Amino acid sequence: MPDQALSGGRVLDLTHHVAGPYCTKILADYGADVVKVERPGVGDPARSMGPFPGDNPDIESSGLFLYLNTSKKSITLNLKSDAGVEILKELLKGVDIVVENFSPRVMPGLGLDYETLKKINPGLVMVSISNFGQTGPYRDYRATDLNIWGFSGILYECGEPDREPLKMGSNVSEYVAGLYGALTALSALYYRDEGGIGQHIDVSIGETLHTMQPSMTLVFSMAGFVRQRAGIHFPWGILPCDDGYIGFFLPTQTHWESLCVLLEMPELIDKPEYETPMMREERRDEITAIIVSWLKGKRMEDIFHAAQELRLPLTMVPNTEQLFDMPQHKARGYFVDIDHPVGGKLTYPGAPFRLGETAWQAGRAPLLGEHNGEIYCGRLGYSRERFAKLSEDGII
Amino acid sequence: MSALPLQGVRIVDTCIYWAGPMATMLLADLGAEVIKIESIQRLDHLRLLGGWPTPDGYEWSAAFNGANRNKYGITLNLNHPRGREIFKSLVKIGDIVTENFSPRVMENWGLTYDALKKINPRLIMLSMPGFGGTGPWRNYVTFGPNVEMVSGMPTISGYPDGGPMMTGYIADPAAGLMGAVAVMVALQHRHRTGEGQLIDMSQMEAITTFMGGPIMEYVMNGRMQPRKGNRHSSSAPHGVYRCKGDDQWVTITVSSEQEWARFCDAVGNPPWTKEPRFRDNASRLQNHDDLDRLITEWTSQREKHEAMQALQGVGVAAGPVLTYAEILSDPHIEERGFFETITRPVTGTHPYPGFPAKLSETPVTIRRPAPTLGQDSEYVLTKLLGMTEEEIKQLADEEIIGTEPQGWAYSMEADEAISKLKDLHGKDA
Repeated sequence: MPDQALSGGRVLDLTHHVAGPYCTKILADYGADVVKVERPGVGDPARSMGPFPGDNPDIESSGLFLYLNTSKKSITLNLKSDAGVEILKELLKGVDIVVENFSPRVMPGLGLDYETLKKINPGLVMVSISNFGQTGPYRDYRATDLNIWGFSGILYECGEPDREPLKMGSNVSEYVAGLYGALTALSALYYRDEGGIGQHIDVSIGETLHTMQPSMTLVFSMAGFVRQRAGIHFPWGILPCDDGYIGFFLPTQTHWESLCVLLEMPELIDKPEYETPMMREERRDEITAIIVSWLKGKRMEDIFHAAQELRLPLTMVPNTEQLFDMPQHKARGYFVDIDHPVGGKLTYPGAPFRLGETAWQAGRAPLLGEHNGEIYCGRLGYSRERFAKLSEDGII
Repeated sequence: MSALPLQGVRIVDTCIYWAGPMATMLLADLGAEVIKIESIQRLDHLRLLGGWPTPDGYEWSAAFNGANRNKYGITLNLNHPRGREIFKSLVKIGDIVTENFSPRVMENWGLTYDALKKINPRLIMLSMPGFGGTGPWRNYVTFGPNVEMVSGMPTISGYPDGGPMMTGYIADPAAGLMGAVAVMVALQHRHRTGEGQLIDMSQMEAITTFMGGPIMEYVMNGRMQPRKGNRHSSSAPHGVYRCKGDDQWVTITVSSEQEWARFCDAVGNPPWTKEPRFRDNASRLQNHDDLDRLITEWTSQREKHEAMQALQGVGVAAGPVLTYAEILSDPHIEERGFFETITRPVTGTHPYPGFPAKLSETPVTIRRPAPTLGQDSEYVLTKLLGMTEEEIKQLADEEIIGTEPQGWAYSMEADEAISKLKDLHGKDA
């Protein structure tokens, strides 16, 4: 195994669904040793969520699970048993980071609060990711991505003004919270390794999503108004062309002038009604109509390149299928094929960033409990008899 | 001041707009000393984008002020050889260089990683252009909205009867967050081996990792997720429902049969909840329009917080759609102390969102507001580079440093600017 940036780092992963697993996926793909602890029998609930190949549900072939758990090892452990909790404490020895995203009462309820864990492993960095954080009146509230969007303020201003607020189609809040988990875990580890101590990190998914639009509360405080839900209108746009959609954001005068050149209508530059950005926004419906009629019959990629020749920030808006054909992705080899004994050979999104000297490497996701033997007998030194007994008792 | 995780890490930051500055803001939050470089010839454009058309409008950009806290701000004209020389002196005493220009910019200045590494062999450099440092699109220009557009996210987002939708802003801060993670990964490697490295981060590639589910669905079954508004592909009800009052909404998401039973209890078990068309998840998905209409009859009689409490009280995931004004006084947010009230020169005292994670031993706070233009040039050049007053004066005379932007010709009164912005974008809170 070649040296990777996080080689030597040990992570105990108690996470499930999206936010926690995405956090530990990042750590694992850059080289950390991540041992994922799953419930015997069913494992991470994401294993039971689709998509499945051929729509045949199988806990070993969920696309969501396979993607979010690359490069990890899986062991099973029943944390609802006293013996399971004791084994978890043994697993904690020698670990640098533990990540969990249970609801806030679960870990303390199991007797696994940070104070207890710290006694077992004083240098431990513990990351807890939860919907609303470990404290506060909403700490026990249930939430999905959509509820979090509403709470964060972002939902209110997304969508058309005369319709209901609209969430984006991917679980953005959970990915964002996962990244904050990785950022704070690595920062706390750096602090510890530079002579500090371990610590507990409380990540609130709701607060993390709010930081994706950190200036709107400030706009309200400085200018006294709340931004209106406004859809996507000039100087923004996602507009149809012959074979798909193109999108743009053209905030400056230079952009406006280049757009007029692209549209082969340089006379618009001197049109007094379109002189300033504010005036153009006031007449955005007119301008949009001009662009829409120009786009008719033109191909996405041709428009994209022609616009970029003029240094216009205009791009194609690919659908999921078109993503795979994008020359930039092909040239950089972004998508990677990973083989899995049950899921088969599939194409996955690749590295989120590339390091000059150390590799990103996504190994396939583990089967449920695949590494029980390696971890319990190898790392913890359990005898074959004890291992068999634990299996029999349903602990592992 | 208590200790911070990245104390002693110095970042020389040329990032502009939002994605790069967000990356370095997060690292600054965590304790790194970030020296942000602008010039009087070329302000960070985020000062313009969110700024006001007033004489000091470049200091009033909420977007800039929200993305540059905890940093030191200097001006340095990198188009001038002396500016680049000073930049290199900073690189020599720094740990990390960050940039999010399109790749040709740093190349034209001769400030590539290979060149800078000769000055500082342990250097880490985060380079995060829209499309990455290689490939046929490397020099193409993008803003955050473009990155969101090419990520594939908009085509699976939107009202079922409409076109692709986007937030228009999420890609910038999310790519910035990824950039900060990338720096920490590289810093961990340097801590262990002493070796620095170049990070080539394509913002497009970073954000496309959020598309795992829909991409796997296509790869496995050749299906593309349809635009389905706020609905969920496998559970119902799942939506945003109108409440009492103007433009008031509650989110309700039911994910299991057990949760549906609790939902029925919370709304008082009216007869329709027992009808066969809502019997199980599959039926509810099929009759989602009818279901939404009936749920709205219940929600529209209630305040959004009242609806949330009734539903959360029995364990159903529900919550208010808060405006940015309401967030500031939300009791949960208040109890966690998420917002911090900070005084900044020019703009005065306002609440800013804090760091969204609590670190038990090294709490993260806003120690400094976003810098005014060139605010810390003198401090950085004298204290860190040992320059004399005379040298500083000469740099100012040659317009290599300064505090007044060139070519800023706006003259509108602040009140008029605010009222115009409000007409265009806003409404009363």
